[in-house]
Formats: sequence, C-alpha cells, structure tokens
Amino acid sequence: MTPIFEAIGVNRTFTLRRGGKVSRIRAVQDVSLQLDRGEIVGLVGESGSGKTTLSRIMIGIERADSGEIRYQGRAVEPKKGFAALRREVQYVFQDPYNALCPTMRIGDALAEPLIIHRIAGRAERKQRVERMLSMVGLHADIARRLPRQLSGGQRQRVNLARALMLEPKVLICDEIVSGLDVSVQAQVLQLLLGLQQELDLSMLFISHDLRVIKYLSQRVYVMYRGQVVEQGATEKVFSAPSHSYTQKLLHAIPGREYPVPAGAQGRSENAGGTG
Amino acid sequence: MSDSPKPVLEVENLSVRFPSQRGEVAVVDGLSFQLRAGESLVIAGESGSGKSMACRTLLGITPDSSRVDADRLDWKGQGLLALDRAGWNALRGAEIAMIFQDPAAALNPLITVETLISDAIRQHRGGTRAEVRARTIEALSRAGFPEPEFRMKAFPGELSGGLRQRVAIALALSCEPSLIIADEATTNLDVSIQAQIVELLRFLQADLGLALIFVTHDLGLAREIGGDLMVMYAGQAVEYGRVPEVLEDPCHPYTRGLLRSAPTMASDRNTPLQPIPGTAPRPGEAAGGAPFRARCPVAMERLCERENPGWTRVSDTHRVACHRFAAEGRGGVQ
Repeated sequence: MTPIFEAIGVNRTFTLRRGGKVSRIRAVQDVSLQLDRGEIVGLVGESGSGKTTLSRIMIGIERADSGEIRYQGRAVEPKKGFAALRREVQYVFQDPYNALCPTMRIGDALAEPLIIHRIAGRAERKQRVERMLSMVGLHADIARRLPRQLSGGQRQRVNLARALMLEPKVLICDEIVSGLDVSVQAQVLQLLLGLQQELDLSMLFISHDLRVIKYLSQRVYVMYRGQVVEQGATEKVFSAPSHSYTQKLLHAIPGREYPVPAGAQGRSENAGGTG
Repeated sequence: MSDSPKPVLEVENLSVRFPSQRGEVAVVDGLSFQLRAGESLVIAGESGSGKSMACRTLLGITPDSSRVDADRLDWKGQGLLALDRAGWNALRGAEIAMIFQDPAAALNPLITVETLISDAIRQHRGGTRAEVRARTIEALSRAGFPEPEFRMKAFPGELSGGLRQRVAIALALSCEPSLIIADEATTNLDVSIQAQIVELLRFLQADLGLALIFVTHDLGLAREIGGDLMVMYAGQAVEYGRVPEVLEDPCHPYTRGLLRSAPTMASDRNTPLQPIPGTAPRPGEAAGGAPFRARCPVAMERLCERENPGWTRVSDTHRVACHRFAAEGRGGVQ
C-alpha cells in the first residue's frame, strides 16, 4: 500500500548570524517518515529535536534544503503543490489560546475555511459548522461566542473542528494536548480516536509526552538532534527500546511504575466490598 | 510522629475570596495543612482549583481585590496575616521562595543572570562584592547551571527552557530559604529535563532540609516527589494523605477520575481513558454542597447538594471529604 503522506530524505539547516559569528544548526537531517491511510503515527523527541520543523516542511510552510514530500505517492511541488494540499492536509497548532482570532466569533472562524475554498453557500456553511461542533462534542451555541469566553479544552476542540471543516485526509497535531489538564486531555484524546475511526483520518501526532503517544499511536518515530534514531511499532519501541536516547526518554517518565487505580478497568467483582 | 519537630508552616481554614456580581466567591475554601522542615507536600488539581492562589497567600502576593482569611496562617510561629509590607519583604525570597510556572515570564529579560541573582542576595543577605559573587555562583551551581562563572553573564533569552528554569531555581535558592514553593515548575519542560529538575529539587530538599510545596496536575510527578498529597477541587481539599496511600487507594471520586483519565505507560487504546464528564465549575458555582457533585458518578442526591462533606478518616494519615465514602466506604466510590 502506498503511504498517504511521506517525507523522504528531508534535510534542513538553519544559519544563525550573531555578533559576526555564523553558526549552522542542522535541524532536520536525512529524515524519512511514512504515514499510512487511517493510521496514527507518533513523533516524539525533546524540544529542539526537529519535530516541529519536520512537520512544517511536510505542509510547506517551511522549506527543505533537500528531500521530497509525497502525497498519495506523488511528489509535492514546492509552493503550488502545497497550496493544492492545503485542503487535504490540516495542521492543528499547539497553543489553543493564540491559534484563534480573539475578535472573531467561533462560528465565523469555523466557516472561514469554507469561504476561502469557496465551498458551500451561506446556509449550508451554517449547517456544516453546527454539525462539526456537535462532532467534537460542543453545543451549537458556541458558534456565537468569542474565544475568550471558552475554556482551554473547548478552544482546543474548536481548533480541531476548524481543521476538520474541509474534511481533510491527514491531520498533523503538534503538541495539542500538552497544555491541557488531564481530564480535558482525556476528553480530547478520546475524541481524536473517535474521529480517526469515523472519518478514516491519518494522523501525525507530535508530542513529548510518551504516555500520550503510547496511548494513541500504532507506530512511533523518535527524533533526537534532527535525526530519527528509532522507529517502529509503538508497543515494540516502548517495551524494548534499542537506542539509548529512547531508553533515556522512557526512564524519565514521571511515576512510570505507578499502578492503574483499582476499579479503573471496571473491576466490578470487588465493588461493594466494604461499607 | 510524637517526637517530630514542630511544623514550620501551619495553615488552618484558609480561604481566599473575591468580590463578584453574585456576591463574594471563594477561590480557596477552608484549606488546612502543616509542613515540617525537610517534608514535602504535593498539591494536585486542575486549572482553577485554587492551587496557585493558595500558594500565593504564603508569599502575600494575592491580588488586591482578594480577601484572605484563616484561623491560622503561621510561619515558624509567626502570623502571616498580620504582616505589613516590610515584614513580607523580609520574608519573601529569604524564608519562603517560589518557583513560577513560566520561567520565561518570571525572569527579567533585560538583566543578566548574574545581576538577577546577586541583586536578590544583596537585598536579603548583604555582603561584600566578592561574597555576593561567590554566593551567586554557588546558588547557580547548586541548581545544576553549567559553568556559572562564565555563563551567568547571559541574558535569560539566550538560555534554553531547562536552563531558564534552573536559573529560576537558583534564584529561589539564592537566599537559602526554608520553604520552596514550586508552582507547576516543570509543566512545560520536556520529560528528560523535567526528571532532572525533580531530582534536583528532591536532592536539595534532603541536602538542605528544605520544606517543599510542589504544585502539579500530573499525578505521576506527585509519585516522584513523595511526601503528602492534597487533592484540590474547586478551591477545596477533597483528599489528603501520603502520596502512595492516595495514589494506590484513591477514595475520592475526583481523585479516582483523575487517575482514570491520565494515560500511563501501562495504558493503550484497548483500555480506553475515562474522561471526567463535564467541565470544572466556575468560582462560587460549587459552593454549598460537595464541590464535585455536578460531575460525580456516585453523588448522593440530596446530601451532596446541600451539605459540604467533612473529613472522613481512612487511616491515621489519610482522609477524604466525600458523603458516599462516609456512608458506604470504598465500595461506594468504586
């Protein structure tokens, strides 16, 4: 099966000039990554490892020095090709506070992609906005509100809804749950899994939280200093990491040994034991 | 526990109230806890649960519009509520120091790391120029800041997030306080750096006999810190106990909900996360009954609406504020 979206041998070096000194940072070094249809792929690594740069190259808002991006098996041309891709590949940004225009009502923000791409008339736009809001578990009333009237979790759902308005085939999520409280994070993660199944989405999920990646993704890529140092089935990579950096990451997970609380998996046989 | 030293921090029935259109609302509501030298307290809860506001009362930096009340708010036997501006200035930084969530925003971008820390030392401890410099270097190296002699000339903007957080820790340590409050101090850091910082805090605590209050919403981190754990919801403490007790035998429906909604390395999609339904109440909304009642899977119809549950004893060190638990024990909250 041809991967729906892939990066092949991508390189990117940034040149910094400071006080007469020139330094080069090899942000992405010969990275190849594949995303199959309907698959959630995790991309982990610490800040500065090149995760975000790679994902930005994949949607064409950052230029690669060399290498190729392929969509459905065909190479994407710089500029023109990415513009055409903008409907099919959507990006959800990290910060739900800054990603929404503060003076634009939620309904208008959600309808905007439809207007830009000249899809649907006014009445149908309104319908689609309502349908999408309910799909991400928000009430239709939200459409009349402004971003500052929403909680962090609601905003992140709105961001997701906006990315889904054009019915994309690929979703790139950059640290979208790291700023959220655990209970809200759980709601968003469940939502992502539901949407993946319902819409047959393919997702590249970028995070530095290995617990989240473990929960969500079937395959994982580990990036370190611009390179992919390990990749494979999430289960396998996390249970038997071969690269020392992956081992270090796994070792650093807080409370990694703490048990799942009693009753978390419907431990009904013991229910009603006391009292 | 009989021969343990007197607590350095004693808090009884602490509340912070703000005026609102619906009258006064409590953002922190009736907290009580104690802390001894060399001990730690983890405060866990979600945004808006009042964790940070409770910590701010210990530094006298609650907003002007707020009203702080307590039956007791004592630091080494001295009442904090009666302190004037000069009293707070002598205490803040010198006795009680805080590490804030966002190291980028907490450091002045226009002054170097050296100036930042030596100013604090000069203010609280004084000394000759050489002494202040030596102390600055010592504080930085204790916080794991590499090559402080050379790199302390840097501005905060020239440092990575992990290094900035180390500067914030060095600043907190610089005047050798007896209590450090770390408010989500590692939340935005990568796991590997987070682990380093947590290890550092634990080491400093053991080494210097510091008391530590660690605020987090990550229960995995609570396990790493150890000591006591206070779970807060809507301004109130709902469960309190030793960290392993609370995490292995969670008795409040909210604590259980938090644990079920957090992915761990043991979870995958075959054991779906169980998010807590609904959203956290706004300040004042939960007043009256049990604070968690609106989202609680085992709420008791009348009782939880009307009456705030008092503490129920689970063990000598573990207590929970839940009507259902009080009535039916563990079976009731499963």
